[in-house]
Amino acid sequence: MNFLNPQHFPIFAIMLYFLGAFLIVLFGKNRAARNCIAFLATGLALTLMILLVKPIMIDGGIIAYWMGSRVPAGGYAIGIALEVDALGLFFGLLIATAVFVSCLYSFSYMSEDDNEPQYYTLFLMLCGGVMGLVLSGDLFNMFIMVEILTFAAVALTAFRNRVTGALEAAFKYLVVGCIGSTCILAGTIILYQQAHTLNLAQLATIIPLCKGTNVSIAFALLFIGFCTKAFIVPFHPLAADAHGAAPAPVSVLISGVLTKSGIYGIIRLAYFLFQTMNLGTMQFWLVFLGSVSMFVCVTMALAQHDFKRLLAFHSISQIGYVLTAIGLATALGASAGLYHAMNHTLFKGLLFLTAGAVLHETGTTDLGKLGGLSKKMPHTTVLFLIGAASISGIPPFNGFASKWLIYQAAYEKAAETGNIGFAFVTIVALVTSTLTLASFVKVTQSVFFGQLPKECENAKEVSFGMRFAMGILAVLCTVTGLFPNLVQTYLTGPAAKTLFHVTRYINAMLGEGYAESAMGASAPEAATRTIEIVGVWNPVNWLALLMIALLAICIVAIASKYDAVRENKSEKVEAKYSLFYGGEDTVFSQVGGGDLFWGFKHNWRHYFSFMHDLHSGIVNDYSLWAVIALALAMVYALIVL
Amino acid sequence: MILDALKTLIYVLIFPGFLFCFLTGLLLAGIDRKLVARMQKRVGPPILQPFYDFFKLCGKQTIVPAAANKTVFLVAPLLGLAALVVLQLFIPVFQFQIPAFANVADLIVILYLLLIPAVSIILGGASTGSPYAGIGLSREMVTVLACELPLVLVLLSVGRSVGVAIGAKEGITFSLSTIVRYQLESGSLICKASLIPAAIAFLLVIPGETGNHPFDAAEAETEICEGMLAEYSGAPLGVYKLSHAIKMLTMTSLFVMLFFGGIGTGIGNLVALIGLTGGAAAAVTMLLDVLVLFVLCVIVTAVGISFVHAVTARLKIEQIFKYYWTVVSALALLSLVLVWYGL
Amino acid sequence: MITLNYIASFFLIVLGLYCIVMKYNLVKTVIGLSIMDYGVNLLIITIGYNPGGTAPIFTAGELQAASYFVDPIPQALTLTSIVIGACVTAMSLSLVMKLKEMYGTLDTREIRRLRG
Repeated sequence: MNFLNPQHFPIFAIMLYFLGAFLIVLFGKNRAARNCIAFLATGLALTLMILLVKPIMIDGGIIAYWMGSRVPAGGYAIGIALEVDALGLFFGLLIATAVFVSCLYSFSYMSEDDNEPQYYTLFLMLCGGVMGLVLSGDLFNMFIMVEILTFAAVALTAFRNRVTGALEAAFKYLVVGCIGSTCILAGTIILYQQAHTLNLAQLATIIPLCKGTNVSIAFALLFIGFCTKAFIVPFHPLAADAHGAAPAPVSVLISGVLTKSGIYGIIRLAYFLFQTMNLGTMQFWLVFLGSVSMFVCVTMALAQHDFKRLLAFHSISQIGYVLTAIGLATALGASAGLYHAMNHTLFKGLLFLTAGAVLHETGTTDLGKLGGLSKKMPHTTVLFLIGAASISGIPPFNGFASKWLIYQAAYEKAAETGNIGFAFVTIVALVTSTLTLASFVKVTQSVFFGQLPKECENAKEVSFGMRFAMGILAVLCTVTGLFPNLVQTYLTGPAAKTLFHVTRYINAMLGEGYAESAMGASAPEAATRTIEIVGVWNPVNWLALLMIALLAICIVAIASKYDAVRENKSEKVEAKYSLFYGGEDTVFSQVGGGDLFWGFKHNWRHYFSFMHDLHSGIVNDYSLWAVIALALAMVYALIVL
Repeated sequence: MILDALKTLIYVLIFPGFLFCFLTGLLLAGIDRKLVARMQKRVGPPILQPFYDFFKLCGKQTIVPAAANKTVFLVAPLLGLAALVVLQLFIPVFQFQIPAFANVADLIVILYLLLIPAVSIILGGASTGSPYAGIGLSREMVTVLACELPLVLVLLSVGRSVGVAIGAKEGITFSLSTIVRYQLESGSLICKASLIPAAIAFLLVIPGETGNHPFDAAEAETEICEGMLAEYSGAPLGVYKLSHAIKMLTMTSLFVMLFFGGIGTGIGNLVALIGLTGGAAAAVTMLLDVLVLFVLCVIVTAVGISFVHAVTARLKIEQIFKYYWTVVSALALLSLVLVWYGL
Repeated sequence: MITLNYIASFFLIVLGLYCIVMKYNLVKTVIGLSIMDYGVNLLIITIGYNPGGTAPIFTAGELQAASYFVDPIPQALTLTSIVIGACVTAMSLSLVMKLKEMYGTLDTREIRRLRG
């Protein structure tokens, strides 16, 4: 057995996380050993994922790995399999990166908590669960991994159980998460009854052929199950609660990794298992859910006054973009959606880490109590601004590149189908983006700029370890924004292509020609879709121009003594340098938090108060939403499938 | 290689970049002030007043408030100005578009680039910690939000209309140069009945986007002491004033290029008629184009900015938002629906 | 007979959901989760059941193509699912304990500091 064969890498990556978790239980008492194990496990897993880029992304291979070499006999998959195609690897890479950075950050961030060994154990269990989910080739294994990651996420949410709301959030998440997991299990078993197999590839061969009530219900169950993992509306309050309470590195995992597992599940389900994405009704379903998610969550975010809770709602809003783009079922849409999924992991991770840094230094994330931190934490401020610019889609950062592609995809789809509904989706997406910018202006003003309250005067810049972790994400945000073509060619392009080559996926697992012979005429065509872009955008050229212009202006400015400024040098503040209060003495008066954007909120006051009442915080209400969503999904699936 | 670099530098620095923006922008601002004054039966300042103001401000002391973050306070105005100048580079002047930049930006990109100056002024204001700036930036952001919806609708209508007309495979186009080229060949878009509501909506968006009266709640001098600019003095304040003037140029010239882009053809023909050829013809056409563009910009400013300024009182911020999301958006939406169903 | 099983499992799942949605006591919510879980377990077992089949225990020599037995895979799945169900119960009960300590109540309507 040659261990350096790429065939073995996926299972090694999963095992590394779980092995690390168990080793930390054994040797975690010692701080150095604990950090070393966590670092090695996450770092090696990331390395393995990167090594797989060449054979899978560039050469276009698919790794089908049968545990214990139990290869299919007689055309029937018996063993448990891992199957890694470009899509799985794409998500694997995202996960490994987010996990690695979050682990680096944890070393300094969590160092003052007690029970640190348990933290790393749960942390690695969560990572292993998600990694196992995206690399698995077996539906029941996916369910097991979903359960593992749900447990780990719940436990991590409640980890700082003295924080207000941590237990509450964990309990709500557990209840609704369990409804979701049970849905997945029920859906899995109904599919088993239909197809007598749990292997994804084989299911993908059999399920599209047997339409019927059972299959439709199974689809609805699985879909809702994965929706709870991705926190699509109506499951978004759980995300907000969990993020608000969890430690920052865990928020990174929940938003960057856990939601991705839900999105991955939905893609596998809709594109591969059921192959329903060519149905207009199915596209409508996903696009509708995505648009509603992005709009509802961004407005909810505008109404928040807690830093992390606000970020959490944004997280779901951005997931709405991903779902919308995936639901368009065009090559450009899929590619744009995956691109945005990647960017979401990067900028959301960065933002949560900066929120964690603020919490670490000031002990609060309440926007009304913070302010003026830019003088105390200049690096964190810059990193936050990069993250905020990325998520609001300010060129040249990565959020802009992917959102730009999503608008194109949506509007192209509108023109292609002649359906004005997709044009409205484009408009919603564009307006949502500006609303995102607005709420980040709010955070910028309330946390980093404005006046410094007395309570925050002891804040100082966070440790190098934390800044380093944030720096990695900030650099990645910039690089992926500056070179969208490279990202398209090497990452999202191959991954998006696999969505339209289901037969390749099946054949890689069960042998060449299997799909064609088993499915006969209904075998899905290997769609020859190309990515057509109607607009033009070249971030590097633009940035070069901006730099030239900025440089020229700076030279002129400096030559004309622009920087010859008068500053307050002495300890005592002179009247000239204090803020203007209409001639009176300076008083502390910070405008931030809920005071901003009154003009907008006033016009929407009925909507906001309605939404506020709707998100009652009672777990029964959220479960009721889940049940209603399930019922609606079932009815819709029965009608359209 | 070096020649190309030099050319780019000339584009960025002189035409249609920094110097051009500086001169025309401030001139436009001066004309606007004069026009408003004449409409209100005042004498008004001389047309060159914005130049005097700018140079005067540059000679004044810059005071950094003790509470401010100095770097952001000083860099934000420059960043906003640079972004505006670069944005102006992407807007063609009829036939003339800088070849190297033709494939850099489209309508959506321009929509986003318009946000950068707003964001930079917000950052600059926020960095001072002044409560006036806090209120100002809140209003500025709401104004940007208010303008966004109608602007999006207008741009999508134009993209669809031209995309169908040129028979693009996808049925839409977002490329600004394609839109202008199409107009040069088959007449201005304003001649299309379905786009007239969109043109009106865009005209109404211009004062909001530039923050001119009556949509200047963000800077309301009498109420919140210029909002985000309350703590600014000296050269940085001058740069903000300059940015504001250039933004007027950007918005008006974008309007001209989107809806009156066909006028340039007539000038080209005129030049050919009087027997000029080759380089001379190109130079004369170009000069005439710039002149026409400027005249059109002045007209748009007079109608869209000065007239509105002279006859209205400042709106409250929630009224601005409501106005843009109802009246103006409805106009733009009407256009989109008309264009969509091929009317 | 087998139909009754399906009806029973459906009934259990709905009962569990009803319990979760309508009952305002945390412990009852946990009970609802368990009942829902049992319903799904029953469903799994029922799906794998062949009326008249023998237990799926064979040595290599005995197994023939004609052997008639119940499907062993769902049984294995059920075992896993039961274990997971036990974990859910344990975890949620420990959370309920902590919640009672912190909020002093088990009423879900009062445990809503995070809202809006």
